[in-house]
Amino acid sequence: MKKSALALALSAFATGTHAQSTDEKLRILQQEIDELKAQVQKTAPGSAAQPGSATTISGYGEFNYNNYKSDQRPTQADLRRFVFGLHHRFDDRLTFHSEVEFEHAVVSKDDEGEVEIEQAWVNYRFSDAVNVKGGLFLIPLGILNETHEPPTYYGVERNEVETRIIPTTWRELGVGVHGLLAGGLRYDVGITTGFDSGKLDDPSVGVRSAHQEGQLANAHDLSVYGALNYRRSGLLVGAGVFTGNTGQNGASNPLLKGVDARLTMWDVHAQYKVGRLELQAVYADGKLADADQLNAAILATSAEPFAAPNRMKGAYVQAAYHVYKSDQLDFAPFVRLEGIDIRQQEDPANGLFQDPANHERITTAGFNFWVHPQVVLKADVQRYRTDPTKDRFDLGVGYMF
Amino acid sequence: MRARLLALVLGLCPAGQALAEVYQKPEAFVAEVFGTVPAPRVLWLSREVQAGAAAILGHPPPNLRQRYWSDGAKSVWILEEIGKEELITAGFVISQGHIDHVRVLAYRESRGQEVRDPSFLKQFAGAGLDKGDHLDRGIDGISGATLSVHAMERMARLALYFDRRSRD
Repeated sequence: MKKSALALALSAFATGTHAQSTDEKLRILQQEIDELKAQVQKTAPGSAAQPGSATTISGYGEFNYNNYKSDQRPTQADLRRFVFGLHHRFDDRLTFHSEVEFEHAVVSKDDEGEVEIEQAWVNYRFSDAVNVKGGLFLIPLGILNETHEPPTYYGVERNEVETRIIPTTWRELGVGVHGLLAGGLRYDVGITTGFDSGKLDDPSVGVRSAHQEGQLANAHDLSVYGALNYRRSGLLVGAGVFTGNTGQNGASNPLLKGVDARLTMWDVHAQYKVGRLELQAVYADGKLADADQLNAAILATSAEPFAAPNRMKGAYVQAAYHVYKSDQLDFAPFVRLEGIDIRQQEDPANGLFQDPANHERITTAGFNFWVHPQVVLKADVQRYRTDPTKDRFDLGVGYMF
Repeated sequence: MRARLLALVLGLCPAGQALAEVYQKPEAFVAEVFGTVPAPRVLWLSREVQAGAAAILGHPPPNLRQRYWSDGAKSVWILEEIGKEELITAGFVISQGHIDHVRVLAYRESRGQEVRDPSFLKQFAGAGLDKGDHLDRGIDGISGATLSVHAMERMARLALYFDRRSRD
């Protein structure tokens, strides 16, 4: 800028401009320079980015292709999820967070698609160590339930343990307190709505069909949860527990009036990354009490009665190796071994038996190829030991931002 | 019981802190690096520099100039970038084309504060840029803080890039 002023001054002299006029121009230029300097001084440190907008948008999604070995299941391509998040900062401490999910591309009366509010909660931050949240939020069990964006996990499809045992994406209405304590230990505790056993209709996914997702949730029986996670670079070790009665005073099935049907679910999980090797494991376990009374309620009201689940457990171990990794590209083959065991309360006299398909072993092998840290291409093959009609080849594309 | 609970909550809250997420003011960080705060300098972002910054950030830099501090040997860059929803403010100290150290000065999201962990930040120490303006080393992420980790990586690259251009 000084050079420009000097050039202008020299130019003015060279062209014989009147001296008073030149002084005036220089004075004006000096004023402009001073104003610019003042603006620079006023600019807050960290001026590489604009101050954040009060409202921000996030998103993730995935497009999957499933090619089954058996003719009993159709080969399909599906826009599995399209999710966008709206987030708003009311002030320095009070924020709002939400995610809206569209599943299967088309939502109408005659189609399979769904629109769901996956999260909608308000957070008040006293400090890093103490946050209070309220609304519809994710329950902190397992690894996948809270971190479920496709570029963050291996495999085209979400793992079965965190689908059939921990019913990802699992959210409840409630209030919680959470925060990060010194040393990297994060806690999350709260009280929320729970399951409604009167809504059970599919024991192959444990208690998943009884979760209420904040939709006119029966709230006679509430649940409590707690989770502890220790994170540092390359390491995660954690555990969580969720417990509460699910009878809901018979709101969905009058025969469950006065029945507790307590559900207690817990898990332990770990991730460890050393060099290019990435290891991950989850164990999840759940018990649903009063299964005899649940069976009686199911027999009385269901057109296709089934034995109620009373114990659900599952575990997986997973290993991935980053064969090639640059700043943008990352190619990592992986293998995952899973076991699922959903026990049902048999009642032979009434024709209620254990479904053998609910005891399953799954092997998944494939790769994730990140073409950008937030965009991933995936391919894998899956083998089901008990129900080989599910054996398949999968392709997928996932993104997050 | 209520009084005890309130006392517990208040006890965990930093007393008198206006913004709970501001861990260190940028001016204090600069003073810590240099002993005294040198006069700020300004890097004007020419079209070429803007293009380079945009390639690193994945979006254009919003300003035409970037303030920094330097004593000739070290330079300090205070940068901001959105993690998932909110801006992260971080200070980067550059020496001889490599990162000397990094600190998160302000973090505004309700999750992912683990990027402040020294064990994560020390991975940046000694990092430089390769020919493609990427970090010359891999940074191990933190489960549940993926986008915040990516934002820290972008800012580290940008600080190194700005430092190089400031010496052109």
